[in-house]
Amino acid sequence: MTNHWIDIKNADCIMIIGSNAAENHPISFKWVTEAMDNGAKLISVDPRFTRTSARADLYVPIRSGTDIAFIGAVINYILENNLYNKEYLVDHTTVSFLVNPDFGFKDGYFTGYDKNKRLYDKSSWQYQLDENGIPKMDKTLMDPNCVFQLLKKHYSRYTLEKVSGITGAPPEMIVEAAKTYGATGAKDKSGTIMYAMGTTQHTVGTQNVRSYAMLQLLLGNVGVAGGGINALRGESNVQGSTDMALLFHILPGYLKTPRAENQTLEQYLEVWTPRSNDPKSANWWQHTPKYMVSLLKAFWRDKAQKENEFCYQYLPKVGANYSHISMFEAMYDGVIKGLICMGQNPAVGGPNVYKERKALQKLDWLVAVDLWETETAAFWTDPEVDPKKIKTEVFMLPAAASMEKEGSITNSGRWMQWRYMAVHPPGDTKSDLWILDRIQKELKKLYAQGGTFPDPIVHLDWDYGKAEEPDVHLVAKEVNGYDLTTGKLVASFANLKDDGTTSSGNWLYCNSYTENGNMAARRDPTDAPNKIGLYPNWSWCWPVNRRIIYNRASCDLEGNPYAPHKWVIKWTGPDTKWKGGDVPDGGWPPGDKYSFIMKPEGHARLFGFGLADGPFPEHYEPLESPVKNTMSSAQTNPTIVIWTKELDQIGTAKDFPIIATTYRVTEHWQAGQMTRNNPWLVELMPDMFVEMSKSLAQAKNIKNGDKVKIMTARDSIVAYAVVTDRFKPFKLNGKAYEQIGLPWHYGFKGLARGHSANRLTPNVGDANTMIPEYKAFLCDVKKEVG
Amino acid sequence: MAEKGILFDMEKCIACRACQVACKQWNELPAEKTTFFAAAGGYQNPIGLSPKTYTLVKFYEVEKDNRLRWLFRVQRCFHCVDPACVKACPVSPKAMTHLKDQGIVYVNKDLCIGCGACHEYCPWNTPQIDDTIGKSTKCTFCVDRVTNGLEPACAKACTTGAITFGDYDKIKMMAQKASDRLKKKGRNPVIYGEKELETGMHKIYVLPEPLDFYPDLPKSPKVSEDLGFFHELLKPLGKLTLTAALVGMVLAKIKEKKNKDKLVSKEEEG
Repeated sequence: MTNHWIDIKNADCIMIIGSNAAENHPISFKWVTEAMDNGAKLISVDPRFTRTSARADLYVPIRSGTDIAFIGAVINYILENNLYNKEYLVDHTTVSFLVNPDFGFKDGYFTGYDKNKRLYDKSSWQYQLDENGIPKMDKTLMDPNCVFQLLKKHYSRYTLEKVSGITGAPPEMIVEAAKTYGATGAKDKSGTIMYAMGTTQHTVGTQNVRSYAMLQLLLGNVGVAGGGINALRGESNVQGSTDMALLFHILPGYLKTPRAENQTLEQYLEVWTPRSNDPKSANWWQHTPKYMVSLLKAFWRDKAQKENEFCYQYLPKVGANYSHISMFEAMYDGVIKGLICMGQNPAVGGPNVYKERKALQKLDWLVAVDLWETETAAFWTDPEVDPKKIKTEVFMLPAAASMEKEGSITNSGRWMQWRYMAVHPPGDTKSDLWILDRIQKELKKLYAQGGTFPDPIVHLDWDYGKAEEPDVHLVAKEVNGYDLTTGKLVASFANLKDDGTTSSGNWLYCNSYTENGNMAARRDPTDAPNKIGLYPNWSWCWPVNRRIIYNRASCDLEGNPYAPHKWVIKWTGPDTKWKGGDVPDGGWPPGDKYSFIMKPEGHARLFGFGLADGPFPEHYEPLESPVKNTMSSAQTNPTIVIWTKELDQIGTAKDFPIIATTYRVTEHWQAGQMTRNNPWLVELMPDMFVEMSKSLAQAKNIKNGDKVKIMTARDSIVAYAVVTDRFKPFKLNGKAYEQIGLPWHYGFKGLARGHSANRLTPNVGDANTMIPEYKAFLCDVKKEVG
Repeated sequence: MAEKGILFDMEKCIACRACQVACKQWNELPAEKTTFFAAAGGYQNPIGLSPKTYTLVKFYEVEKDNRLRWLFRVQRCFHCVDPACVKACPVSPKAMTHLKDQGIVYVNKDLCIGCGACHEYCPWNTPQIDDTIGKSTKCTFCVDRVTNGLEPACAKACTTGAITFGDYDKIKMMAQKASDRLKKKGRNPVIYGEKELETGMHKIYVLPEPLDFYPDLPKSPKVSEDLGFFHELLKPLGKLTLTAALVGMVLAKIKEKKNKDKLVSKEEEG
């Protein structure tokens, strides 16, 4: 989240799209409800009518996988009717920047597409530079190559008629949404977008998010109270684990994983440290060398010296994609032979689970670390599998739950909240830290005796005390970082250096655990003087306790807040500076530096040349879709990886005419082990079900409560039918298309059992992130007899 | 302690069912063995109140005038100002205990004989008899929390502020405000519980739609007129030790008579 949970209450309009916040983030509705009590409007955009839609002022049904088209029509309406915030756009975004005249877009493809490689050469996706190497601007926004004109041209194609034919949403509803949400373009109004996996789990997931961000920028809704682009994360600490580099392509603090071509530290820093010739650009990532060297010092401390590139060579250089789908493909192919699976249940939660379960069967060994014996840990007990034929050796390590160990959890709002241990873990159950500590110590011992490239492990700085339970405070301090010349904790990332005199396990968390103590453990319920719910001394948030990021964009160039009644920061003069509000996004006087300090051009990008699939979001159909793309001849995202190996079947509308999607319900959580083992929650939702419209049920002779078979190109499952008005067929250019929905929580273990919806989902991912397309695929249904 | 009340503002409910689970947790009630419940669209479970379930969220899916509404109602004892269940309770001292000053009605299980008169005479048939122990059960208003200065478990767990606990006067005022807010939005809200049964109940609903949206909620709840007759019949038995079986016979007799009356009136109509 650019903002945070409590801040939702400051919104004048809330759009929940690609999220079912009422069901999956119920506490968020405390703040949604408060905003609505104060007069805010709620818009719910979803293929089905959910418990979120039940509370909304306006519900807009859109077919799964058509967010870019829907937002496209909204943006087009806002541009055509001048609802955008021009002052904000010119001062804070790249709207006035001039783009290389070679850049173009034709029939679904941007310039530079290589059909064979399925990649773009992005050399034309660049700004025009002046003689000093600074991007050229035209603040009148009239130049045909300025971002504003390109944007208008691109979005003029997203007409109401066209978009209604793609999404299935009636044109008048799209207009009502555009008007209602567009009203937040007024200077002192704000609108927030809450999104989740309904947005991201598509082959165009990243561009879905981007389209929301662009809408927010057009309306001046970023950096302000009650605004922002807010990802509602799926697990309590998934934000923390992302920050700490759970994903393969990043190191802690979103530093890039060294790529194969970054052979030396110098090369790495050369490639990944952005430069700007504009003196008004803070270009924050220019500090990359300080953060990278401090990270290497945190890893290898004394061994890391200038002479040995601070042990840069100990880091693996990534030459391939190691995301979830790729790993399971490699397991299936026998390339990966062992798996440590901590707190994850891919046998239920992965895409194309039929294949993923088969991949597990090919492993030599599996270590499962979890609270319960999950479907993954016990994959060999799958009723459809003969355990005699499986040779995998499985180790089950019982893990402590969050209440049974001390540590921090970083929520979606970036708040790092320290938790004490409430109860001791039962029996032999151990904390993750204990388990990792033992594995690491054992590895060190083994590698000390030799092996392939033992140095990174042997020399790893690893000392968390002598006690049975490793000292989690020492971990938190290491993450914050030290001044190695004094041995004191660093106060902030401004103090980090690239000469090896500082360490930091994650520069973004610098300032979280200082000589003043553990900031995340603070529990002062006093609000800041501006009274917008920042609570600055309650826990701690990254970066440097800034609760609303990009907050310099909440003020005009004189430092006056656009919304004086809910100001975030304001300039109070050269002596008192930015006093009384949030930690500003850089303390420079207003107008001295641009507001979007993480971009080298200092402005928020409406033209996003960093992405794999284009600088503007463009609608493409999901990999499995019942219709032709009416926007262009490019049927699917031209840059996605399409797997065509064994068990990677792709269905067509001829055999599978019905659209399907998956989701969660309030009563269960993720792959279900924490809820399907709790009798009180099992009571609430005991069985797997499939939701469908009355018209589909009638056509297939299915009644409420019947058992139904759902089939895709990959596998089939059985579930109880929920026949409901909450699902309606989508009318696309005169023809009706049915969509069904499936909760994905169930599996063959635990108290509540049922078929896993992910047996049906395809093995295909987003072009930028490889997140699987769980949210739109094709199926057929029939009544299960007997 | 002042008279207490609870407001249920349906428009704010997201059916997260935290109240339903928190009720079980505080009252140490076991889970029921449930299966997919088709009649309520698969979302509601269990089917109804029971000795294991004092609080239940009910789901209503209604499409009218091309507008779909999905409504969620927290069902449990209303804690009437003048509770019929207390009047009906035949044992002395009464097992159905009324803390008038606080507005709380709860079952004293040491005194209860499980006869079912409270169930029979409750306008909503809320109390449920636990046959395994022969006792009546229902929402206690978390008497053990409230009399110790805590709010009831359901109100504490409520995620959105749909359930609010407080002094009864304040709760009634809040109900009015919630209703006014809905009227401003062009809705036809109903306050249910302030004037019902003439003296009202301590748990008040503000319902965003008219009463015909909730078919299982009696539009004008009434206490059966034969409550006096029931006590008449019990009087001669009073010398004996009352048992559930004895009271059950009396209740059965009344029912039999009622059915006969109904038949007669039907014949007359015919």
